[in-house]
Amino acid sequence: MGNFFSSMFDRLWGVNKELRMLILGLDGAGKTTILYRLQIGEVVTTKPTIGFNVETLTYKNLKLNVWDLGGQTSIRPYWRCYYADTAAVIFVVDSTDRDRMSTASKELHLMLQEEELQDAALLVFANKQDQPGALSASEVSKELNLVELKDRNWSIVASSAIKGEGITEGLDWLIDVIKEEQL
Amino acid sequence: MSTHTYKKFENAESGELPDRMTIYQDCMSEFNESPINSKRCRLLISRLLRLLAQGETFPESEATALFFSISKLFQHQNDSLRQAVYLAIKELSGISQDVLMATSSIMKDIQNGSELVKPNAIRSLTAVLDESTAFSAERLLKSALVSRHPSISSAALCTSYNLLPIAEVTVKRFANETQEAVVDLKSFPHKNLVGEYYPNSTFITQYHALGLLYQLKKNDKMALLKMVRQFSNNNTLKNQLAKIELVKLVNELINKDSQLFVDFQSLLMEWLSNKHESVQLETAKLITNFATHNSRLISSELFASAVTTLQSLLTVPRVSAKFAALRILNRISMISPEKIVVCNPELESLINDPNRNISTYAITTLLKTGTAKNITSLISTITKFIHDVSDDFKIIIIDAVRTLSLNFPNEWKTILNFLIDVLKNGEGGFKFKNNIVEALIDMVTFVPQAKEMALENLCDFIEDCEFNEILARILHLLGKEGPSTSNPSLYVRHIYNRVVLENAIIRSAAVVSLSKFALTKNDPSLSDSIISLLRRIANDKDDEVRDRATIALKFIESAKKDTSSEAQTLLQSNYSFDFNALESKLNTYISSNTDSFKTPFDVTSIRKLTEGDIKALDLKRKQDKFTKGEFETSVESTPGMIDDNLISKRADSSFAGPSAHDHQQDLLATKYAEDLMSIEQIKEFGPLVNSSQIVALTESEAEFVVRGVKHLFANNVVFQFNITNTLTDTALDNVTVTCTPEVEPSELEELFTIPIDRLLPSAEAACYVAFKKTEDMVMESFLTNLMFTTKEVNPETNEPFEGDEGFQDEYDIDSIFLNAGDYIKSSFVGDFTKAFDELPNEEVAVYNIKENISLQELVDRLVVNTSCLPLENTQYAPSDSNSHTVKLFGQSASKGTKIALIVKLIKTSKGIAIKAQGRAEDATLCADLVNGLM
Repeated sequence: MGNFFSSMFDRLWGVNKELRMLILGLDGAGKTTILYRLQIGEVVTTKPTIGFNVETLTYKNLKLNVWDLGGQTSIRPYWRCYYADTAAVIFVVDSTDRDRMSTASKELHLMLQEEELQDAALLVFANKQDQPGALSASEVSKELNLVELKDRNWSIVASSAIKGEGITEGLDWLIDVIKEEQL
Repeated sequence: MSTHTYKKFENAESGELPDRMTIYQDCMSEFNESPINSKRCRLLISRLLRLLAQGETFPESEATALFFSISKLFQHQNDSLRQAVYLAIKELSGISQDVLMATSSIMKDIQNGSELVKPNAIRSLTAVLDESTAFSAERLLKSALVSRHPSISSAALCTSYNLLPIAEVTVKRFANETQEAVVDLKSFPHKNLVGEYYPNSTFITQYHALGLLYQLKKNDKMALLKMVRQFSNNNTLKNQLAKIELVKLVNELINKDSQLFVDFQSLLMEWLSNKHESVQLETAKLITNFATHNSRLISSELFASAVTTLQSLLTVPRVSAKFAALRILNRISMISPEKIVVCNPELESLINDPNRNISTYAITTLLKTGTAKNITSLISTITKFIHDVSDDFKIIIIDAVRTLSLNFPNEWKTILNFLIDVLKNGEGGFKFKNNIVEALIDMVTFVPQAKEMALENLCDFIEDCEFNEILARILHLLGKEGPSTSNPSLYVRHIYNRVVLENAIIRSAAVVSLSKFALTKNDPSLSDSIISLLRRIANDKDDEVRDRATIALKFIESAKKDTSSEAQTLLQSNYSFDFNALESKLNTYISSNTDSFKTPFDVTSIRKLTEGDIKALDLKRKQDKFTKGEFETSVESTPGMIDDNLISKRADSSFAGPSAHDHQQDLLATKYAEDLMSIEQIKEFGPLVNSSQIVALTESEAEFVVRGVKHLFANNVVFQFNITNTLTDTALDNVTVTCTPEVEPSELEELFTIPIDRLLPSAEAACYVAFKKTEDMVMESFLTNLMFTTKEVNPETNEPFEGDEGFQDEYDIDSIFLNAGDYIKSSFVGDFTKAFDELPNEEVAVYNIKENISLQELVDRLVVNTSCLPLENTQYAPSDSNSHTVKLFGQSASKGTKIALIVKLIKTSKGIAIKAQGRAEDATLCADLVNGLM
């Protein structure tokens, strides 16, 4: 009986449920660094992800199942294989890489058109703010054409995965949105 | 899931496979679940793996979908699930696309995973890596290679081994770590867990490391020698398989350079008494194999101790060791049975071994070591025994008996009686009966004394035979051999019985066979009876039978009117076509059909073989089979990857019919002849009389590999030089071969040379040099030189750079000899001594060979030089005697006159003395051949 109640409460508060999140973005944007910053709170040395990394972490009593998919051109076509049941997408942009902003924008909008991601919230990290010459969050937002997005909860946060700035802020927003939507 | 379906799917014993679609859908839904139920997923994967292991397969799209859903299981940290996932990835990598996606996750496990999953993770890397991604795994693999944990190290070694063909550059950098792994004795870290009973390591890493190290260094002879030296002393290697690998390595080294053998003698001697039986076996195999080709280099003590080792292995209780030793002895028995006569007591005691494999091998070996004296008693032993064994063993025994019949033609009576007994009384399937019939056919063809008796018994056999194929073969044989026997009418009765009693297939075969008796010279009265029989058959209800009877009647009629008519040759054909050539010609004819087959197929260009030719070819194939048997083992003992070509050669080693290798050779010869005849200038020379075998004129690893073929025409000679350019960045222009006669003035007049315009890197092409000769036999040797202009090749276009003038260059190749053998084709005769005595012209010559070569090598050279067929099993020189006699038989390629040679060889301390005695129909040919032997 006690078990029954506890599981009912769990369901109510969404404790037992794992939330699926994807971290996407072009290669070298800092996705893997963000993932491990979230999991172990440290900066790890990474090399280009061939395939994906997946980690489970607990954040504010929520179990998050975070998938970091490689961003190389050859791997991008496989992103779609992991879209199902996704609660949120974190899109990471290298703010210093002005040349490839348009590519990033194209990939982002292409991804958001997918049926399976219609209900997913979108958080954009304008990453690498510690670097000189980085575009600000609003500039990145403009480059990515984020204003065009309708019917979607989205936000853009300036971040630096190396220094650990902006990451928690972004995630807090995301969790709030998801909780609001699901409860 | 109800109990019913549960039983149906999960009971491994039931042998019933789960349904493919059910598994697919279960997997797709279960693996995409969140959170994952690891136990259920593991179970599902095991069912999926069972399906795949049973040979079920998925279409690519489904396999890819499966792969991606399985990759989602990486989110779960359960080790057992992870192991299952790795197995699934490995299996699916073959049929699914995009396995690359698992790379990062696997590499993470290799870095941070538990010791339980690490080996599996490393092994699955083989399936997902390609050349570029292998580079990123380099550091991981390197650290795994030197891991203290034997399973991890082994896994890394195996993965590197398998990656070698994919990412050679990366794996080549592992040499040091691999070297370390060979000497490092790794044991499992948790000693107390394993308990006393189990050893705490098998040191299998040493085996894996040695395998990889060999692959890395296989082209460096010095490094390999160093490896053997380093690893052979003081128990460096603890693992049994690793030791065997080392023996195989020595085998490889001495096969490449037989001079090295001397250095290994003491080592091999030591290995022969190694505590592991498998090492003893492998060493004995190496020694005995090597001895067949290089008996001169091997000391008789070493060979004797190898045989002693094998002999003692025959008495051990372990079946596998016994069997392996027997197999090796059996192989030796094919070439030099006298060497293993000492083992006969042990072999005889094995005849009644409860294991049938062993008893069969023991018998066949005994049959080969058998001498003319004990054949009778052996045969009587087998007779008691053969009805109790399975078909496979019966076939092996029959094969052995068949070899016996060829080797001891004088014992034909005993052998024939045995064969007839098993044919009539033995129970067995088609293969078995077919083998006996084949053995009998062999006896009819090669042992003339046995012919009539064998034929009569075959007649009895067809009265009650259930196999159409065998019946048809026997009918054909009766038709071929029957008319020339003393009492042909006997066979006619038997054949006609078939027409009355059997089905249409047999009836038509019988009609053809009958028609051949119509023109027999032994019994002219038969002709009328045959005609009346055929008339009756012409009313048969089957149209094929009717057709054949009618056409046979027509032939007989016209042949009777005019004995030289075409009908005569059609009825009693004394030649057949070269089937390989015929097949390839017909194929081209059909595929290049331009005018809806209005031009008839031209058979004149296909080589015709007379009966003698066919017999000679047949016998040669049978003799070659032994040498090829050795070849197989040398392939099998080379460590590492075997190329496809060799596998295909090994695949076909059945007694009957040509093997794939022969077939290729024949096709090559046909192709050369076709190429040659398509050249206008050469067409004018008339029909091709004879082509020699291909002779190598350079080392096979030279910059330019040149092989020569000598083509003979009535009044011309053409040398064909096949040149392969092995350089990677240089093209050769205007390639010619200059031939300078060694002795001036030459009897040959050079007509023209057809050069190769351009020979690109790694291409092969032929250059021809043509000469005019008199009608007589001309023998000469030529100094040859390769002339060409080298040009550097542009790697992008694969053409030489424009405007590159190139350098004139030349390259020395071996001389080419035109010798008497080139005018001779090998031929078969049943009774050599009689044939020899009948030939009119005799010539004798004596030689003394100063070179230090064995009798066997000399015999081989004689066979090649004379192009004759060695008869009466004289192609093997006994290794324990200093003298040998070779009997050779052949015929002139142009005129078809017979020639027979008896060559006596005596080995003394000063060299080998040869006395060649030749007899031929053609006196000049005889003199030339006998005087030009060497």
